[in-house]
Amino acid sequence: MVSLMETRTAKELAEVASESDVDRKAGARYPGSVRAQGRFWQARWFIVVRAFSVFIGIWYLVALWVASPIQMPSPFKVLEALIALGRTGELFDHALISATRLVISLVISTLIAVPLGFLMAMNREANAFIDPIVELLRPISGIAWIPLGLFIFGVGGTLPIFIMAYVAFFPLLLNTIDGVKSIDRKLMSAAETMGVSRSARLLHIAVPAALPSVMVGFRIAFASAWAAIIAAELIGSPSGLGFAIEWYRQLLMSPKVFAFIAMIGAIGYLCDLGLRTLQHKLTPWAEGMGIGQ
Amino acid sequence: MNVATMPSKAQPKLRLRNVSKEYVAPRTGQRTLAVSDFTLDVRAGEFLCIVGPSGCGKSTVLNMIAGLDQPTGGDIEMDGHHVRGPGAERGVMFQDYALFPWKSVRDNVGFGLRHGTPGAGLTAAERNDRVNHFVNMVGLAGAEAKFPHQLSGGMKQRVALARLLANGPDVLLMDEPLGALDAQTRMVLQVELLRIWGEAAEEGDRKTVVFITHGIDEAVFLADRVVVMSSHPGRVSAVIDIDIPRPRRESIRSEPRFGQLTDEIWSLIRDEAYQAIA
Amino acid sequence: MTTATQTSRIAQLPPAVKAVTLPALLIVVWQIWAMTLPETSPAPAPAKVVQSFIELTASGDLVWSTLQSLGRVLAGFCVALVLGLSLGVLMGASRAVRENLDPIIESFRPIAPMAILPIAILWFGTGTPAALTIVAYAAFFPLLVNTVYGVSRVDRQLVRAAQTMGVNRLRTIATVIVPAAVPSVLLGSRLAMGVAWTAIIAAELAVGAKSGGGTSGGIGQMMFVFYAYSIDLNGIVVCMIVVGVIALMIDRLFRVAEHRLLPWRN
Repeated sequence: MVSLMETRTAKELAEVASESDVDRKAGARYPGSVRAQGRFWQARWFIVVRAFSVFIGIWYLVALWVASPIQMPSPFKVLEALIALGRTGELFDHALISATRLVISLVISTLIAVPLGFLMAMNREANAFIDPIVELLRPISGIAWIPLGLFIFGVGGTLPIFIMAYVAFFPLLLNTIDGVKSIDRKLMSAAETMGVSRSARLLHIAVPAALPSVMVGFRIAFASAWAAIIAAELIGSPSGLGFAIEWYRQLLMSPKVFAFIAMIGAIGYLCDLGLRTLQHKLTPWAEGMGIGQ
Repeated sequence: MNVATMPSKAQPKLRLRNVSKEYVAPRTGQRTLAVSDFTLDVRAGEFLCIVGPSGCGKSTVLNMIAGLDQPTGGDIEMDGHHVRGPGAERGVMFQDYALFPWKSVRDNVGFGLRHGTPGAGLTAAERNDRVNHFVNMVGLAGAEAKFPHQLSGGMKQRVALARLLANGPDVLLMDEPLGALDAQTRMVLQVELLRIWGEAAEEGDRKTVVFITHGIDEAVFLADRVVVMSSHPGRVSAVIDIDIPRPRRESIRSEPRFGQLTDEIWSLIRDEAYQAIA
Repeated sequence: MTTATQTSRIAQLPPAVKAVTLPALLIVVWQIWAMTLPETSPAPAPAKVVQSFIELTASGDLVWSTLQSLGRVLAGFCVALVLGLSLGVLMGASRAVRENLDPIIESFRPIAPMAILPIAILWFGTGTPAALTIVAYAAFFPLLVNTVYGVSRVDRQLVRAAQTMGVNRLRTIATVIVPAAVPSVLLGSRLAMGVAWTAIIAAELAVGAKSGGGTSGGIGQMMFVFYAYSIDLNGIVVCMIVVGVIALMIDRLFRVAEHRLLPWRN
């Protein structure tokens, strides 16, 4: 439940809540929500554009009022910086470095956490031995490993990968365990009565049943890793997006700081969108199991 | 019953005139007529049951009487006054009880007295007495401090009933209140419901009840009159007088008249019921 | 045959023994490995970590730094609570507010708290206010999202029930909507405190790393000083353990609060 909420937006949650409400009583309707189709000012894209226009407008006014390009650059300055950084390729260089680190660490984490999760969920002995050490390490956030990691790996690319892999490991592991444990025993028994072999049961029942939960875990893992990489690069790496924002902060080149921050948000948003689409494609049965979106 | 000998029955308690309700689907704009041309008088002190196939708009009618839904056409009056919105004089017992999960049995029963209009002018002690009175009446003494999740379905139902009565409504609107219970509990509570309603009391002292159910035998057992609804759109297809004398005992279920009436009602909705599941 | 009896013998061990086995093994191996290193090596060792813990506790540094960090977390959390709750109630109750604010909120959500740090430093310098901003920013999102969820999820049937008992609108909000939303808000608070605690460590570490240390204090800063100046890895490990223990305590505290404050939920 907690994990679900971490991957859903407030609006989605609200809509899920109100829709299930409508279902329960035919009489329950929201008087204000009756809308005709085709009116552009009620379309989703228009609402988004309007919201951003207002936001940028307020930002512009604040920038005027603050009147300090270092503390609060205007949106146009930031746009200029974004274009300039894009032209020189610097924006994409740093982004590519961070993204590569992200992919490497997620692959490492998945390769360890998912098989381990299956083992711990299916074998009580393994769980009894391994779970305590997982629970001992889990409260220690990835960030707290940075100083020790700096000492072990030095300033460079290995530290962010280590931190991200560590951070991504726990949600993946816990959600895998959850997913495997939630497998309906009756399905397993049903397959047994049909003479399905053990390996086929694993492949055709356990894996599909656990996959929705693993995907949720993967999305949380991505989100945590993407948050952690900024800290790791900011403190202990000579490259990447986290490094770039701090570098330009020291140079007091605020528009570029803002531009890189926008890039961090954009990549985070797009990756999550991609993962969501993947989730729908890969596990279309998830919703029926109560693990939506 | 001889209508001519009853003096003040000229004005019905509730009067529904050509009531209709149309829904517009939010996205598609598609219109559905849930209830159409629904005309009915409910007499004061009467126990009226509405039966009909699933989705025939029974609950919609009840919600409109309660003021929770607005009719799209026609008019609903209580004691000659137009019904505008929900009010404590028309108490509702919801299908899933709608008990406040964070309130104990006592606080659930006293909710309306404490926060709503029924408690106006009452001292805390008076409120307390009233809560205790109804808690005892429905047989929940000793369970006052429990939370809803600690209660069985039958007990929750009793809490909902006590809460309904504690607010002192004139009209009791009940939306399949026994629907979620097992068969035995339901039969026990039907008898108890009649006792609490005041079956043994003078007719003038009884509350007016509109009771929604899909159980035909339940309707026959409880009601003075049964309104049979048909669906698509929901409308009155027949009104049947239940001429079984009160007070009613369990034994009436095996009487021939009981069987006749159930069969009569069943024959009225059978076709639609089959269609609904086909 | 022998393997079968062996597994069953392992299975018969008491759970506590099973739980302790791996961590104990890890500590022993770590200690032995550390003892093979020359005396001058800065590598941490379990025995030295314990010694370091005792020294740091005795000097009061550890307690003071922890309290400083906790104070900042609490202050930042309170700011986030006020903002998250008020905005969350508005967004949960009104579809119009929700639709208009959602795009903005959602485009900030993927921006890590640490990414805001350079801006916070530009605005407030490297002192406590910058760290506070990071904490409040981090804690804001879980609070907001869960408040919106809690408020919009309120069982409409309960609201209708209150209406039929003649309860007016304002009273309905106070007696139905607010209590119904409390579980979500508490859950949001627990998640928010968790990320806030992580954020303060990150902020203190980074502020320490970028401002030369010594100015702002806190347990994150302490770690950085151990790394950059005194090269005391045992001290770092002590801090890591403390960070973990505090995280665990915060989590437990909120779970207990959820349990106590919501007796109807069990």
